[in-house]
Amino acid sequence: MTAAPPHDHLHREVPSDDPRVQLDEAAGTFEPVPPYPPRTEREAEFYTLGDGEMFINMGPQHPSTHGVLRVVLKLDGENVVDLDPVLGYLHRGVEKLCENADYHHTIAYLDPLEYISSLFCEWPGVLAFEKLLDVEVPRRAEYIRVLATELNRILSHSLFMGWMALDLGGLTPILWSFIERDEIAEMLASLTGQRLLFNYLRIGGVNGDLNHDFMSRLGDWMTRATTQIDNNLGLLNQNEIFVRRMRGLGTMDKETAFRMAMTGPNLRASGVPLDFRRAHPYSVFPELEFDIPTRDEGDCLARYLVRIDEIKQSLRIIDQCLHNMPDGPIMAKLPRLLRPRPGRAYAAVEGPRGQYAAYVISDGTDQPFRMRIHDPSFVHLQAVGTLMPGHLIADAMAVMASLDPIMGGVDK
Amino acid sequence: MTAMARSFSRLTLGGKILFTLGPILFLLTIGLVLLIAIAGKPIVDFLATNIWLVRFVVAATAVLLMSVPTAFLIIYMEMKIIALMNLRIGPDRVGPFGSLMSVIHGLKVLAKEDFSPTGADRLVFTLAPVAVFMSTIMALLVLPFAPGLFGADMNIGLLYLFAVSGLSVVGLLMAGWSSFNKYSLLGGLRSAAQVISYEIPLILSVVGLLLLAGTMSLNQIVVKQGGWFWNWYVFQQPLGALIFFIAATAEANRTPFDLTEADSEIVAGFATEYSGMRFGFFFFAEYVNVFVVSGLIVTLFFGGWNAPFPWPWPITLNIDPGSLGLGLLFAILIVPPLLILALAAPFYLGRSSMPWWQALIIGFVLFNLLVIVAITGWAFVSWNWVAGLMVFLGKSYLFVFTFVWMRGTLPRVRIDQLMGFAWKWLLPASLLNLFVTALALVVVNK
Repeated sequence: MTAAPPHDHLHREVPSDDPRVQLDEAAGTFEPVPPYPPRTEREAEFYTLGDGEMFINMGPQHPSTHGVLRVVLKLDGENVVDLDPVLGYLHRGVEKLCENADYHHTIAYLDPLEYISSLFCEWPGVLAFEKLLDVEVPRRAEYIRVLATELNRILSHSLFMGWMALDLGGLTPILWSFIERDEIAEMLASLTGQRLLFNYLRIGGVNGDLNHDFMSRLGDWMTRATTQIDNNLGLLNQNEIFVRRMRGLGTMDKETAFRMAMTGPNLRASGVPLDFRRAHPYSVFPELEFDIPTRDEGDCLARYLVRIDEIKQSLRIIDQCLHNMPDGPIMAKLPRLLRPRPGRAYAAVEGPRGQYAAYVISDGTDQPFRMRIHDPSFVHLQAVGTLMPGHLIADAMAVMASLDPIMGGVDK
Repeated sequence: MTAMARSFSRLTLGGKILFTLGPILFLLTIGLVLLIAIAGKPIVDFLATNIWLVRFVVAATAVLLMSVPTAFLIIYMEMKIIALMNLRIGPDRVGPFGSLMSVIHGLKVLAKEDFSPTGADRLVFTLAPVAVFMSTIMALLVLPFAPGLFGADMNIGLLYLFAVSGLSVVGLLMAGWSSFNKYSLLGGLRSAAQVISYEIPLILSVVGLLLLAGTMSLNQIVVKQGGWFWNWYVFQQPLGALIFFIAATAEANRTPFDLTEADSEIVAGFATEYSGMRFGFFFFAEYVNVFVVSGLIVTLFFGGWNAPFPWPWPITLNIDPGSLGLGLLFAILIVPPLLILALAAPFYLGRSSMPWWQALIIGFVLFNLLVIVAITGWAFVSWNWVAGLMVFLGKSYLFVFTFVWMRGTLPRVRIDQLMGFAWKWLLPASLLNLFVTALALVVVNK
């Protein structure tokens, strides 16, 4: 019986006279399968091993790749020489699904894009639809949107704190930060009806008004939020090992950050005070007071600290929302079946990871003709190609954690 | 004898065990009896002249028997303490407060598939956990647990201990190499680099202490720290104790130096491909090693089995059963039932829903507990070694707790920070410690 002919990762038969395939068979090693034939020169170069180098498959099942990301690392000892991220293990075709759903239904598809910051995935879609329909959203609905999304931002950032520590080997911070996360999840559950995938924003407003349960939970939490968060931070900010490992690691200067199209905290950590809430104001953000925290170092510690400062700014915004909350309806008057004018609309919001945007083309029917989603995680992930090489494996993982990618958003 | 007539494969599990072990035990017994009958006298004479052999076998058996409960206890401590630090509940299903959870873990690894990956070097792959486990167990042999309670009082005990515990790196390297997995390989190489680097400050930090003690026998070192607690070497060698603690943490592969099994980087390091009891050996070895390291710190720097003050005991209780007369009858026959009834009464009277027999069972259990406490207390004051063992275990488990605490709190260091710390800081500091100690000895002795 002859051995089965070698196949590539798409189960296409590959010619066995290829030297790399023969090497695999002879040594019986499980080298990462290159896309065969190499699609680009870069791929051909990457999948050729130099002297003393080896491949290691990090993911799709690995404790610290933040989901199903597969990174093929080319290692020299423990040093990362080069890497090839392989995406698509979580691809669900959300953009295509949206084209076969009516406008209301679309929101439910946008929701699970990023399971940590669902409200920010809904928001740009909803904003774009509203632009197409020329709807004016009631002020109370806008305030509720800001309130809920800022809570979601704190949820996301507090989880980031924990994950960052977990990738550096600290066990406890993640469980401590889950306290914050759980309280906010419970709070939003009483507002939206769901803990994880809120499906809360509607075209022209929000799904439900503020209720007593939500308000009492929020009020209770706001009184101790600052102390609770500071308490969690005490484990990390004053930890010599943590700070020493993060400082000066994965430094990204302004120009690189711009070139990589970074947004959000990752960009602000490199010293660019770009925040879409201020740069391209939407909703009621022009009426609210908050600062844009920036750092100049551009390293992992800066990215971490910027997020911590953002939590404090979000608390400020929530406070103002609660004080300025106007009365009135929470939904604009809209027909049940939405048929916007033919045309195209684009909207972007500032999420916990950066710019979440949606681009919609309408052909006048009740379904979007085309829907495209811009997700910050996908954009940020391309920075690993410049940040990781030259570091040790441990640091490469920390760099990836500091970019805070969520694979659901990357693979769409 | 229907079971005998059945084919072996149709027997139940209990039957299989019985019908396998039974004949073996029977034959062994026959053999032993025959051996004693034929060559009893020479064997006894030989053992009498070579009593060290008996002592060694007994000690090795005792250490092996002790190691597994120790590992169970430390695993449970780690699960529960880290859970409490993480604001979780931790194990709470098996046994009181989940205390039997680690036993269930032990049974679980026995029941798992014994898997070895394609391409692994089977022989080395199998021997690696044994090598790691044996090096840890052999280190336990020389630890003085109590006055007179040790496997062997070698005059080079400390040297033996370092040599044996250094062997574990061979096992880790074997595991990393033979697993046919690059994560394992990285883990094995990391452990080799780490353990060899930290061995040097670990040994150098003790040399100052050896100059003070003038012996390498662990038992003698403990004896020299007797009396009040300021005789402990930690007060004469504070820097040495600190260096030893840090280096021992690295030597035992504990957080923040647990790079060999850094789960966020190299999955599980050298143990990635191990399953079943082979993994169990690594697991047990790690936790027994924590105990060995803690015990060593206590032995060298914290007085071993010496209490912090001059021990007033043993107190001999002069109770002559013959002189008690009728009192003895009372003590054996009349007091226990009355005491059980007295202990059961509050439960029966206080809780109307409790039937009398349940109250009696509770009373009986409480009575037994009382007796155990009384006997332990009596043993504690009567025999030095009981008290010494308790003091030693108490101190050791304080250090075990510290290791667990560190694991719950600290993140992991990077490999270059780890190596830099060993060579740039610990090594010069331990040399400084050695020179200062030597200088002080020369000045004082003049």
